[in-house]
Amino acid sequence: MSVVVRTVTRLLLPAVVMFGAYVVMHGHLTPGGGFQGGAVIASAVALVVVAFGARRIRRHKETLSVLEDVGALAFVVLAFLGIGGTFFYNSLAGTGGLFGQEVAMGANPGALNTGGMLPLMNWAVGLKVLAGLGSIVLLMGLLGGDDDR
Amino acid sequence: MTALAILQVLLLVLLVVCGVLAVRLKDLLGSVIALAAGSLLLSLQFFLLQAPDVAIAEAGIGAALTTALFVLAIRKTRRKEEE
Amino acid sequence: MRWLRIAALLVVFGFLVGAAVWTRPFGAPQAMEMDEHFIERSQEEAAANNVVTAVLFDYRGFDTLGEATVLFAAVVGVALVLRRWAR
Repeated sequence: MSVVVRTVTRLLLPAVVMFGAYVVMHGHLTPGGGFQGGAVIASAVALVVVAFGARRIRRHKETLSVLEDVGALAFVVLAFLGIGGTFFYNSLAGTGGLFGQEVAMGANPGALNTGGMLPLMNWAVGLKVLAGLGSIVLLMGLLGGDDDR
Repeated sequence: MTALAILQVLLLVLLVVCGVLAVRLKDLLGSVIALAAGSLLLSLQFFLLQAPDVAIAEAGIGAALTTALFVLAIRKTRRKEEE
Repeated sequence: MRWLRIAALLVVFGFLVGAAVWTRPFGAPQAMEMDEHFIERSQEEAAANNVVTAVLFDYRGFDTLGEATVLFAAVVGVALVLRRWAR
């Protein structure tokens, strides 16, 4: 791609990744969540593939594959952690530990340290969606010869 | 009719225009751009209908990822549609 | 044949506009018991201020698991089909 696209990509990339990470991390407080934030970060991967060519980040293919597996396994394991109650039982909510702060009732902006299992599941699903969609775009970019123009 | 309703109807009309452009254009890259613009308008419409979750998902998937996939596919094949 | 197509298009368009106008008013669902339950109790049960996330990951977790499975199947399919050419 042209130098304009590459420069704009260099400028925009940190902001896009930062916004995606924000959406994933605040999934239990603000609109968005794991799927949306992962899709936003995957669009950053797509930006890099379109602007710089897929050959540049070909060595990260295995990394994305491993990340996808880790996300999926973490999601299922987190769901199994609540098996004392039911599958997907929120066993961390209100215990005072990690993400276990008591939630103030009524309409309030909320605290980051609440939510129990929900932030961890958001991270797992975000990792999975980021790696899955990113690897699809990367494989499509790697298809065929080197035709960066 | 309030200003919000007028804005929503305007967005939907622009969405239909984007869809017709995406079908009619012979330049496939322009067609993809029209599709991305339509997706962005749809995301704005979702936001106006107070569904910000769906708006973020639509803007991320529809306007960014599918556009990137189509651009990559066009780069690897031909740009002009054949009769 | 051309007029037939235009007539069919008009019939479908009219049907859609009628469905949009004469069905239930926008934003007024028929049954609201589950909505009230989720809105009132998601803060104490799921400990989340975002009711959408509480429904997505706690009350309806199996839906999210199925969505993750669909995404995983899609990625595996793409990787299987493209593994010979995408190197």
